[in-house]
Amino acid sequence: MWWKLVIFAAMSGMIIAAFTTPAPQQQIGESSRIFYFHIPQAWVCVLAFAVSMLYSIRYLRTRRLEDDDRALEAARLGFIFCILATVTGSIFAKVTWGSFWNWDPRETSIFILLLIYGAYFALRGALEIEERRAALAAVYSIFAFLTVPFLVFVVPRMVPSLHPTDSIVNENMKFTMGPAVRMIFFGSLGLFTAVFFWLFSLGRRVAHLRRRQLEYED
Amino acid sequence: MDGNYIALAVALAVWVGLFVYLMRVDKRVRKLEEKSK
Repeated sequence: MWWKLVIFAAMSGMIIAAFTTPAPQQQIGESSRIFYFHIPQAWVCVLAFAVSMLYSIRYLRTRRLEDDDRALEAARLGFIFCILATVTGSIFAKVTWGSFWNWDPRETSIFILLLIYGAYFALRGALEIEERRAALAAVYSIFAFLTVPFLVFVVPRMVPSLHPTDSIVNENMKFTMGPAVRMIFFGSLGLFTAVFFWLFSLGRRVAHLRRRQLEYED
Repeated sequence: MDGNYIALAVALAVWVGLFVYLMRVDKRVRKLEEKSK
């Protein structure tokens, strides 16, 4: 219980600090405050898809359906955080570039990522036999995650983009943020990660209860 | 600066709402887990 209250207080403090301290990137202006939320959301999206892949590998080794439930739960959360990162990115694009959507390489790659994971859920919905669905979804999830580093880190850096590239580190891999910005940013990163694990734990427990109920009914 | 306070109020309201919702779900799940033991 206590750690949830710590998360609540810390996240509230982080939100207040994000809006009351000077904007993190003076050359961009006030809209750069979204950076405290947008980057952690994108990070959690990648983390969740990685967790989904790890449970998928585990399912293929153990064939325990609980591992498939966990892979599904992580993919769901990854998808939600991916949508959140897309929405906050679009708000930033509207304020900075004048349009919500510009088919910028970064926007296009996140759109492709959403399609890839959308197909994961479509695949699951199309298969009725539980073991077959779990096995195929696990293989798909592993291949889907292989595209994530390319779509998130490689492709957007290969072609010219409007997206800021030196928000965290510059081309010499040195931090570009001041101490206060760094503290708020890494605090936000840690807190979003903690919220993800809380949501993941809740989803996992609900899936476990559902499975027990189904076993009881059988 | 006024815009910042509006954004701050909206972000805090979303966070408090999400936290209260998660705490309720957590409590309900715990009750169901105890029941199913």
